[in-house]
Amino acid sequence: MSDYALELGFRLLLLISLAEAWNLLAGYGGLVSLGTASFFGVGAYALVGLANQLGVPPALAVPVAGLAAAALAALMSRPLFRLRGLYFTVGTLALAEALRLFMINNTAFGGATGLFLAGDAPSLQSLFLMALALLAVTTLVMALATRSRFSILLRAVRDDEDAAAQIGVRAFRIKLLALVVASWLTGMAGALQALKLGAVEPYGTFGVQWTVAVLSIVVIGGQGLRAGPVLGAVFLVALSELLADWPALHLALNGLILIVVIRFAPQGLAGLPSALAQRRGRR
Amino acid sequence: MTSPVGQPLLEAAGLVKRYGGVVATDEVSLQVQRGEVLGIIGPNGAGKSTLIGLLGGALKADAGTVQFDGADVTQLPAAERARRGIGRTYQIPRPFLGMTVRENLLAARYSLHPFARKADALAACDAVLARTGLADAADLPARTLPLLRRKRLEVARALALDPKLLLLDEVGAGLVDAEVTELITLIRSLRGQVQGIVIIEHVLRVVRECCERLLVINFGRQFAEGRTGDVLASDDVAAVYLGTAGASGSPPQREVAAPMPVAAQALAPALAPLLELKGVHAGYGQARVLEGIDLAVLPGQTVAVLGTNGAGKTTLAQVLSGAIRPSVGQILIDGQAVTGWPPHRIAALGLAQCMEGRRIFAPLSVEENLQLAARRVPPAELAERLERVYTLFPDLKQRRRNAGTSMSGGQQQMLAIGRALMARPRLIVFDEISLGLAPVVMDRLYEALAALKRAGMTMLVVEQDVERALNIADQVHVMEHGRIALSGNAAAVRDDPRLRHLYIGKAD
Repeated sequence: MSDYALELGFRLLLLISLAEAWNLLAGYGGLVSLGTASFFGVGAYALVGLANQLGVPPALAVPVAGLAAAALAALMSRPLFRLRGLYFTVGTLALAEALRLFMINNTAFGGATGLFLAGDAPSLQSLFLMALALLAVTTLVMALATRSRFSILLRAVRDDEDAAAQIGVRAFRIKLLALVVASWLTGMAGALQALKLGAVEPYGTFGVQWTVAVLSIVVIGGQGLRAGPVLGAVFLVALSELLADWPALHLALNGLILIVVIRFAPQGLAGLPSALAQRRGRR
Repeated sequence: MTSPVGQPLLEAAGLVKRYGGVVATDEVSLQVQRGEVLGIIGPNGAGKSTLIGLLGGALKADAGTVQFDGADVTQLPAAERARRGIGRTYQIPRPFLGMTVRENLLAARYSLHPFARKADALAACDAVLARTGLADAADLPARTLPLLRRKRLEVARALALDPKLLLLDEVGAGLVDAEVTELITLIRSLRGQVQGIVIIEHVLRVVRECCERLLVINFGRQFAEGRTGDVLASDDVAAVYLGTAGASGSPPQREVAAPMPVAAQALAPALAPLLELKGVHAGYGQARVLEGIDLAVLPGQTVAVLGTNGAGKTTLAQVLSGAIRPSVGQILIDGQAVTGWPPHRIAALGLAQCMEGRRIFAPLSVEENLQLAARRVPPAELAERLERVYTLFPDLKQRRRNAGTSMSGGQQQMLAIGRALMARPRLIVFDEISLGLAPVVMDRLYEALAALKRAGMTMLVVEQDVERALNIADQVHVMEHGRIALSGNAAAVRDDPRLRHLYIGKAD
């Protein structure tokens, strides 16, 4: 494959994995998070630490770095789950911003300039393969999480947490499991991105752009639908490639599409066929 | 700890729940023996649902203890109490809307037995669904179920837990006689399976035929307790709760039934109908609900629409408001076709809706809810309209600054009626206003309707309660399977044997 195809493929695979993880939380769990960047960033920084300080090889460092993000999720679960609905969303956004500011001001992790990865970066080919492996793991996890008994409990909590408690569902555990798993996947994606760039710095890795990209992908693709993240990611990556020469127009068009989708196809692209079928049935 | 046979299944002592300064539950104690069905009755707002919340664990008591099956569960959250065998239903159903009906039950099975065999879990769910009459809906999304089937789902979901104690919060509201009979049969059949049942209910037949003991709650306190027959016969209970419904035999003819002013009645046939439906068909998607409805309401007339659940009454009300567009047929207001008009334009012609389920705006105060219906009215006129509503319902004036949904069910219904009046409509459609209300509250609402009628208001009353509707109506239509099966003036319909047949069906 050409470098361009590998480059594009890597981005697409990474975004799909991130979007799948976010869809698990928001689409299936009702936990609309704006904290993707915090887990992504922790994964990225953990990878650099593991590689530079301990010399862990990349293939092992990526999943372990994901665990660092999962640990952060477990640590933050108690305060975050005290908040519900929109308050949870704002809480996760606050977490991401707080971590970003901490990283800028804390010199131990390189401050505003960040850290460089020692040693050679892996080839584009092997990065692509690692991203493919990440997507495989993500797909497996999502298949388990969305077709299993766990998914029934998770959706019950999403639809009505109090009513779920009345039938014996321990909502906290269910949400914790979803958050930890999603954060692990998000952290691994962050680690891969750090591996590819060969450097981490707070503005890029903890930046809100990752959160926004993931959110747009799932909303445009279709929340709570299995095909949503893939469709959304392909659509958005294709759009950004087509409009690569006109960045301002790209941003504006992105926003416009988001508005149109939310207004006219709240189930996203993946929900269009059933929405159209329903409309036809009504006539 | 083993549970001795003589020990009660549930024992609550000195339960207190305060919301700010308001004491919703004040030192309530109760016991449920093994094998017993306890009924809790009381006016709307007496604190019955709060009590269920305290027993089920959804609410935390400010004082008092709850012992269940030999253990103190006072400090346990709802999920843990559910796992120990307390199943509850919500008065306003809260199904998991994005899941199928079967998945709603599976959530209960899997939360308790995460590693059970899938076939066993499915079999258990399907057995409960068959028992509660939901077998045909197992694969439908819960969102598509209408209100009364959602109530069944509440019961089914609680049963999927295999509870020892079942807390039923007004599951009989809105059912017609045949369905009430079904419910009673179901509750009785549960006795072998569930060790104890607590029922909160306004449908007195359920209370009378299922409960051994009754607890009457008023203003959050225990008002009376005793054997069902004794409690229902008590004069004190009649005064706070039962109203006219407690009187044995048929309810007395109230002043409500007073005829319209003679002049209006004589004029009526000559007047053009205010509202007219011609051959209206309507439905949802593939499902056709109304199949050719003809109906006319003359100025000053009160028309009642009766019928069993599923006959299409609420769909009819929605067609009138413009929320559902008829597929065939015409709706005329003052002879002008308004078919397919959006709801706000129909409202502007003077048609007000008092919708099923009240639909109070929760974030707004009582007064704001009322003002909303009369937005472009000059302040002086607005004040006068408010005053009229407050005269009709003094309860609302007292609570004008409270949040609309903080009031009891009866007061919320008053607010819904008041809101419909604020637009100074020429015709009001009342959809099931008596649903889920204490008998004494229903009396008050129907007295208010009678007062409106005397003042010359034109009304279309869609109602479940046959007796109350017949008392107030001039003209009555009885619906069956989306058609009007029987029409006539109230007296003629009352005496028509077909009424009993249509309504009660093959229940007896």
